[in-house]
Amino acid sequence: MKVSRLQIFLYLLPMLLTILVINMTPIVYTLYLSFTNNTLFNDEYKFVGLANYQRLLVGTDSGEFLQVLGLTVLYVVVCVSLFLIVGMLTALALNNPRVKLQALWRGILLIPWATPYAITVLIWKFLFNYDFGPINQILRIFFGPQAGIPWLTEPFWAFVGVVIVNVWLSYPFFMIVILGALQSIPQELLEAASVDGATPWQSFWRVTLPLLRPALLPTTILSSITTFQMFGAVYLITQGGPVTSADKPGATSFVMIYVYNQILSGSAANVQYAKIAAFAIILFIILGALTFLARALGAKDKELYA
Amino acid sequence: MNDIVAEEAAVAASTSAKTTRRPLRKRRAGVLGGVKLALTYAFLIVMAIFALFPIYFVVQASLAGGQNLYSTDLHLLPVQPTLDNYVYAFTKEPLFAWLLNTLLVCGLSTLYGLVASMTGAYALSRARFRGRQLTLTLLLVLQAFPGLLALVAYYYLLQFLQLMDTAPLLGLAIVYAASSIVFSCWNIKGYFDTIPVELEQAALIDGASPWQAFWKITLPLALPALAASALLIFIGGWSEFAVANVLLNANEDGSNLTFILGLYRLQSDFRTPWGYFAATSIIFSVPLIAIFLYAQRFFRSGLTIGGVKG
Repeated sequence: MKVSRLQIFLYLLPMLLTILVINMTPIVYTLYLSFTNNTLFNDEYKFVGLANYQRLLVGTDSGEFLQVLGLTVLYVVVCVSLFLIVGMLTALALNNPRVKLQALWRGILLIPWATPYAITVLIWKFLFNYDFGPINQILRIFFGPQAGIPWLTEPFWAFVGVVIVNVWLSYPFFMIVILGALQSIPQELLEAASVDGATPWQSFWRVTLPLLRPALLPTTILSSITTFQMFGAVYLITQGGPVTSADKPGATSFVMIYVYNQILSGSAANVQYAKIAAFAIILFIILGALTFLARALGAKDKELYA
Repeated sequence: MNDIVAEEAAVAASTSAKTTRRPLRKRRAGVLGGVKLALTYAFLIVMAIFALFPIYFVVQASLAGGQNLYSTDLHLLPVQPTLDNYVYAFTKEPLFAWLLNTLLVCGLSTLYGLVASMTGAYALSRARFRGRQLTLTLLLVLQAFPGLLALVAYYYLLQFLQLMDTAPLLGLAIVYAASSIVFSCWNIKGYFDTIPVELEQAALIDGASPWQAFWKITLPLALPALAASALLIFIGGWSEFAVANVLLNANEDGSNLTFILGLYRLQSDFRTPWGYFAATSIIFSVPLIAIFLYAQRFFRSGLTIGGVKG
């Protein structure tokens, strides 16, 4: 189509201007900060080269950095595995043609997705309350008045708690994706497998699952990326805590929460802007690599299954 | 969860043991099918309880009277249901100010984000120009960068633009719009790509200007993608906490906050009874759930046809 250069430029202008000023400037500034020794109380800062990166990756702060990163990876692996299992089981249950009132069940199971997450997360925080929270109150009915799980004060249970909340928030998405993919599998294939003597278990592993792969792979990778940079759903419940010792990150201090707490300076009086910036750039590189990996895998899968 | 997997495995194992004896198989399949159906229902009921658990308790708590707030006894049903908590929320909290602030931020960011991304997406979809590939790559790279990482820079930037003191809500709206532009642009561009360019060419032959072809032909056809993108921007802003928490400083009564910050304050304050928090959170959830349920129809076509997957 013939359009003048000026017109193309005008169409692009609002978006490009926004991206350059609001999206790019902060990134470039963060990159710049990461090469300096800027802190809250150090106004006359200067270039220090790669010193911040060195400190984080191999130097004095590498222990803390790797701990936060490892904790985040553990959280991603646990959460996404559970998304897959719960999503798969709910989708299989809903896909059973003999289940009555399909629409009702689906509607109920989608509720976590339809409610604003920040609100439900704050509600979960109350459910976890040691003295007054309904979860512990129910446990006390069964196990006596002394029972109760220290959800928000014990590192292990805090981790379990934020996993439960994330599963609650995210399984509907997996359920919908898997249900859609299940319904697109031709019934003849499963019948053929059954005629050939395959058990339901075998036909699930050998027929259904391979056919779900094109839908599952991108969903899993994208969800891993989202979980890796999860902030609100965890921060609103634990603020990254519980903290067991002052110089260590808390038990649910995943990367984003760690950065946030460092900026708001929960622990130290002096905010290490330059170090945080270097941390942010390293995360950016990891996330960028994962995003491109996801696209590359998605593209490869499309060729295979197109 | 493990129990169900184990049970299914057991069911599957027992079927495979019986497959050798044909005559028995049919009868067994009936019984086993019944067991399997019962297990399926049991699982669905467990999941439904899990899904509804927080919602149920917040509704219950919002209706509970003041006398059983912070009680250590479990009440499945409120002892004396009352609307006191709702009355309190509407009269004693800066509820309307929070709602107005949130609507302002979400509305502005949706408008700004949508206009900027639909015009940009149109140019990227229809025109071929130098720098097009570069722009597309830039968008992809930017998508991998969570804005939260550059929080410090955002703060300075908005201070530099003189927005921090004069109009922090506008600053917040701009940040939300910018962080959503990348996704909506990809989504809308993907949808534009599926609309035949011949339709616009026909309009041009009939004497329409390029702007009219865009405004009157392409945009109406892309409505599902536009609606889906707009909704995602709106819903995203409605729940955003991290950036708002840094950019907005609460005044005396907290009336300059968005509602999620207000709600967070309400909950962190131990003097505030849980019932007030519960009522307030329901008041703010209902409109969004209504929008979501209404808009579900757009999500199906508006997000899949656009092919965000690439």
